[in-house]
Amino acid sequence: MQTASALRSSVRSSVRSFASSARYQASPALNKEFKIYRWNPDDPAKKPTLQSYTIDLNQTGPMILDALIKIKNEVDPTLTFRRSCREGICGSCAMNIDGQNTLACLCRIDRNPSKKSKIYPLPHSTFLIVTILNPLNTFAFTVYIVKDLVPDLTLFYKQYKSIKPYLQNDNLPEQGEFLQTQEDRKKLDGLYECILCACCSTSCPSYWWNQDEYLGPATLMQAYRWIADSRDSYGSQRKEQLQNEMSMYRCHTIFNCARTCPKGLNPAEAIAKIKLELAAD
Amino acid sequence: MASSMILRSTLPRTFASATGRNSLRSVLQVRAASSTTQYVPGGPILKGTVNDPTEFPPPSRTHGSYHWAFERIIAASLVPATAAAFVTSGSSYPVLDGLLGLSLVMHSHIGFDSMIVDYVHKRKFPILSPILTWTLRSATVGVLVGVYQFNTNDIGLTELIAKVWTA
Amino acid sequence: MMSARIGLGSVTRKVAFAPVIGRNQTVLRTLIPKRGVQIQSLSPSASEEILNAQRLKRPSSPHFTIYQPQLTWFSSIANRMTGGALSALLYGFSLAYLVAPDTFDSVHIVEFVAGLPDYVKYTGKVILAAPFTFHFWNGLRHLSWDMGKFLSLKGAYRAGYAVLGATAVSTVALVLM
Repeated sequence: MQTASALRSSVRSSVRSFASSARYQASPALNKEFKIYRWNPDDPAKKPTLQSYTIDLNQTGPMILDALIKIKNEVDPTLTFRRSCREGICGSCAMNIDGQNTLACLCRIDRNPSKKSKIYPLPHSTFLIVTILNPLNTFAFTVYIVKDLVPDLTLFYKQYKSIKPYLQNDNLPEQGEFLQTQEDRKKLDGLYECILCACCSTSCPSYWWNQDEYLGPATLMQAYRWIADSRDSYGSQRKEQLQNEMSMYRCHTIFNCARTCPKGLNPAEAIAKIKLELAAD
Repeated sequence: MASSMILRSTLPRTFASATGRNSLRSVLQVRAASSTTQYVPGGPILKGTVNDPTEFPPPSRTHGSYHWAFERIIAASLVPATAAAFVTSGSSYPVLDGLLGLSLVMHSHIGFDSMIVDYVHKRKFPILSPILTWTLRSATVGVLVGVYQFNTNDIGLTELIAKVWTA
Repeated sequence: MMSARIGLGSVTRKVAFAPVIGRNQTVLRTLIPKRGVQIQSLSPSASEEILNAQRLKRPSSPHFTIYQPQLTWFSSIANRMTGGALSALLYGFSLAYLVAPDTFDSVHIVEFVAGLPDYVKYTGKVILAAPFTFHFWNGLRHLSWDMGKFLSLKGAYRAGYAVLGATAVSTVALVLM
């Protein structure tokens, strides 16, 4: 067993060195600068800064997440970000890359070395004038940074929980499971695929202003996902909850959500449908 | 751009300590109880624990779907009203002119009001927000009277625009 | 992190990577001395206090000015700004007429405008016509969304470019009127 593992590791290392030496010969270094937002909770008085890292794209995978992992492994192990699946299904690595919210694992690196890539955590907003009048941040409705590219999404999850994102039906079928026609099932396509990465909500100007009261596109699309489900019998209660000024009607159909969704979903359309259903009630 | 980001993040920093920030905050805002980690709208402290869902305000269709539908009906009615104003003359159809004036003012009022709700909501600005809301309401009443008087005593809105445009 | 600070990092690593000893748990355990950590019991509410103390030190995430300019939110904010400006004009004029009907009557206004030089007139027309036409066409875009039309991302963008085109054409037409 010992010899087998030793043999395996030696074979692996020789294969690796062969592959990497072949790559070295094939392409010269393609250095690109990444400017990454940094803030360290162990030194909270130090302002957030943009830190520069230059890496060789020919020694890096194709996606922004590959670059981040390379920087963390080889340049700066203190760089902090969330990641898990590296294939756009877990929603952990949501961040603002070159001005657009997306998943780092689904975002290709722009291979133009003269362009610096800027990577920020998910953004927020407030009027500049309000900032000047009120430097204490009281009126800012904002995502707070835990560290570097890691935002605190607690409020986002609390809001998701508030819409009761599970099947509610008091009349259980006599036997077996709830059945649904194919047409009814089709109504859930484009809704259930959401991975709750919060890219859309943090791209929404209405959510930027009023995120403590407005639910935001991701949560509202999930609200519609349960309103639209033929197996759920609490549709009217779900709709009634949204009958107020803030929870849903802060949506002004801006479409930033649909534009930014890394999964290609359309929260704006889902919210428009809720509004039509509420108006018809 | 970068500078505004730094500004955003520096200014709160300048009042560095947590307690310092909190006490200054209390000067600016109405606060219910006194705890070091008090919920302030928009602040980093959240209502309830991480496991509590957020709460919904009490349902009210007047603020919900009725308001939404009314807003759309006014906006949609402005389309034929504007088109009619282009092809007719205000002084020969005073009713049309009056309707256009009324719906324009209501459309404007709803627009201003939604700006107040979006940007200066009363949970964030407990003093400024009601002042703005009531200023808007009284202004709208004044504007309605002004438009009515202009339409009855003078030539009316559409006629005025037409004359100014070709002056 | 703790072990690294005490200087155990390299020892544990060596142990973990040594093929024979690494698999032998008893050897591993004897090599790592027990940590001298005092455990303090706290109530659940205390944990929240700790979390909140941390939260108060956190900075806001970057301001929305880092966000890429896109037709979506730029047309939305333009819609609000044009609407607000036109409404402010309506409110301003009506209130002025209410207060001083003799100064702001149609005769005086038309006289005043007629006396202006041509370039001021045309600039003024552009300043009035562009926001009006944009708000009008974009308002139609909004109304069609509210009726369930153009709700795909592609549809929203096409309608957006159509609004920009229609605004340009109708502004020119109105200015030349």
